[in-house]
Amino acid sequence: MNQFSMIRVTNLVKNANGARILNGVTFEVQPQTVMGIIGASGSGKTTLLRCLNGLERIDGGKIECADVVLEKTLSRHEYARRVTELRRKVGTVFQHLYLFPHLTVLGNIIEAPTHVQRVPRKQAANEASQLLESVGLKEKAHRYPERLSGGEQQRVAIARALAMHPELLMFDEPTSALDPKRSAGLRSLLRGFVARGHTMVIVSHSIGFLEGLADNLLYMEQGEVVEQGKAEQLLNAPQDPRTKDFMAQAK
Amino acid sequence: MSRASDMFHRPIVTSILLTLLCAGTIQAQKVLRWGADPSGGAPYVFNDPNHPDQYIGYEKEMVDVLAAAMGRKAEFVPSDWETLVSALRRNSFDVIVNGLEPTADRQKQIQFSKPYYIFQLALTVRSDEQQIHSLADCKKRVVGTLGNTAASRLLQKEGIPMKAYADPVAAYEDLKLGRIDAVIMDVPAEVFYVSKDPKVKRASEPFFRGTYNIGLRKGDDQLKTEVDSAIDKIVNDGSLEQILRKWGLWNDAQIELKTKNNAGQPPQSESAGYDITSISFNWREAIWRLTRAAVVTVLIAFGSMAIAVVLGMPLAIGQWKGPRPVQWLCTIYVEFFRGTPVLVQLLFLYFGLPTIGLAMPGWLTALTGLGLNYAAYESQVYRAALEAIPRGQWEASYLLGMSPVLAFRRIILPQAFRIALPPMTNDFVSLFKDTSVAYAISVWELATAYRELANASGQFLLLGAAVSIFYLIMSLPMAHLARRLERRLQRREAIEAVESEIV
Repeated sequence: MNQFSMIRVTNLVKNANGARILNGVTFEVQPQTVMGIIGASGSGKTTLLRCLNGLERIDGGKIECADVVLEKTLSRHEYARRVTELRRKVGTVFQHLYLFPHLTVLGNIIEAPTHVQRVPRKQAANEASQLLESVGLKEKAHRYPERLSGGEQQRVAIARALAMHPELLMFDEPTSALDPKRSAGLRSLLRGFVARGHTMVIVSHSIGFLEGLADNLLYMEQGEVVEQGKAEQLLNAPQDPRTKDFMAQAK
Repeated sequence: MSRASDMFHRPIVTSILLTLLCAGTIQAQKVLRWGADPSGGAPYVFNDPNHPDQYIGYEKEMVDVLAAAMGRKAEFVPSDWETLVSALRRNSFDVIVNGLEPTADRQKQIQFSKPYYIFQLALTVRSDEQQIHSLADCKKRVVGTLGNTAASRLLQKEGIPMKAYADPVAAYEDLKLGRIDAVIMDVPAEVFYVSKDPKVKRASEPFFRGTYNIGLRKGDDQLKTEVDSAIDKIVNDGSLEQILRKWGLWNDAQIELKTKNNAGQPPQSESAGYDITSISFNWREAIWRLTRAAVVTVLIAFGSMAIAVVLGMPLAIGQWKGPRPVQWLCTIYVEFFRGTPVLVQLLFLYFGLPTIGLAMPGWLTALTGLGLNYAAYESQVYRAALEAIPRGQWEASYLLGMSPVLAFRRIILPQAFRIALPPMTNDFVSLFKDTSVAYAISVWELATAYRELANASGQFLLLGAAVSIFYLIMSLPMAHLARRLERRLQRREAIEAVESEIV
């Protein structure tokens, strides 16, 4: 195994309401690569993401993510402390985005840098307008989120996550609210970020979106990893019959 | 019962009652319905402490004897001191027997029988009081008395700061607690309530002289003749003296009633000199007093809203996210204050707390009481608003590295505030009107002012209009201000909307 994995998940277990949601999930993500996590609804892929960013506490196994180790045995306090540390290095874009409706686009982006990292407001605003330029929203800095289209809102959410300079970006179903044209636009935007050195985990049920973007793919079913490997391999020559079925249906 | 079905049933119930009443009166003797205020009404007429469903008092006994002398059966109609005269005119009963003085302003509205008692006034002070020996020593002190009595008019005429009470108990309680410096009261009440109380003493011998007469509607001349001859009868045959002696109210002054009444000449009374209407009702004075009352109302409303807005927040958070015991405590607080009448809460604070050594002045009690009460309501407004914010907003904040406190302050609270603002505005307007319950603890706010001024003058209509205008002058700008604030919170977004349409 590579010493410098960005993420290394070992035998991860998560229960909820007496049911096992994740059952022994194991995988690695190398720096500056894109990992695509695919599977049907209810396969546990969103829960996996929520474990990776500390929104859910794990019930077994181990997560090593950006040099932070999370284990079931940690005390409540220590777990929370490590999650805080982890979140400094991880940015997340939710399926429902959860932009702050009472703040402008600019306000959304500089809120955390100014209040969490205590970056001076002016500096944060400068950085934010650069970020907005890179996602093509420079003119809309003073709008409120509800006046933006779905695609624009998503790019605000991405800029908001990037403003904290994360090493790792995680996306939950980024294409669920986008039409095919906008999906393609988002894909090329994300490719640009990878080129600039970001590592990404993208949860999606859209194989088309991940094709040509993800370096590696991981297929999940009922909380377990069915198959993982190079993207081309899973897309073109899946080994497991369940993966084959899913790919056939998705295409 | 709903209003509709209430209306439906009322005629039936009324006709049944009427039939019963008619049948009763035709068969038995005629009835003498008399009105008086039994609340704090000792020794005149009051609830028997041993049999709370029965009324006792020297006037109760007197009316029984009086009615018997008239060949009638006495029937007591419990009423309210402040509105006795208007209730009589509205036919709620036939006569008022409630230690009523025949003042000139009342004589404009009703007529009076012969006097049946000669009373004096007693000035009561705390036992340790050294400086007050007469009413003249009270010029810069606050003196308590019953509203709309000969005593209250005397104080007004002498220019002595006065606090009007609805019943004697409250006045004497406040005297003992140091909220006022003296109480002036008719001797019968003074004898009954505080003659044996070591905490207070008489500042001087009883002074002033007035008479109690029975009040009748103008035009009921037949009844007046009956009542007058019945009074003569019970005065002369000693049955009234017997009752008065039993209650410790007999004194030599009463003998005058016999001689003077018999001579066809009523005894000398000083009360006529102290009628408010002999000065004539002064509108400028009334507006000035209403303005002062309005200031008190505003002070109470804003003060209690400030308490409610601030205290509501920890209550909401405690009930929402606190550990189990804190949740329970907050719930108990909320349910207690929402589930009991604010009037009861104020009375408790005003008369209950002093027993543990916490005696606040009336306005502060009203301010605190309403504040505590509305805090319960505000906490529920906050809680609903906070719960309306999606969990994702919290999670998004956490993932950006915010602590729960920071997320709450910067992300959740501003969003919740917008949701809470309209119901908070509503609550403020209703709190504003609820300040009128401060009447119960003798705070001179608008509703109190209205009742007392209107009762003294009979100007219910004009004063009512004036008071309503006062309330509106104060509540309309507030509603307007709240609407503007709501709009300002949305304005930026509205400008955005216009802009985006242009683009």
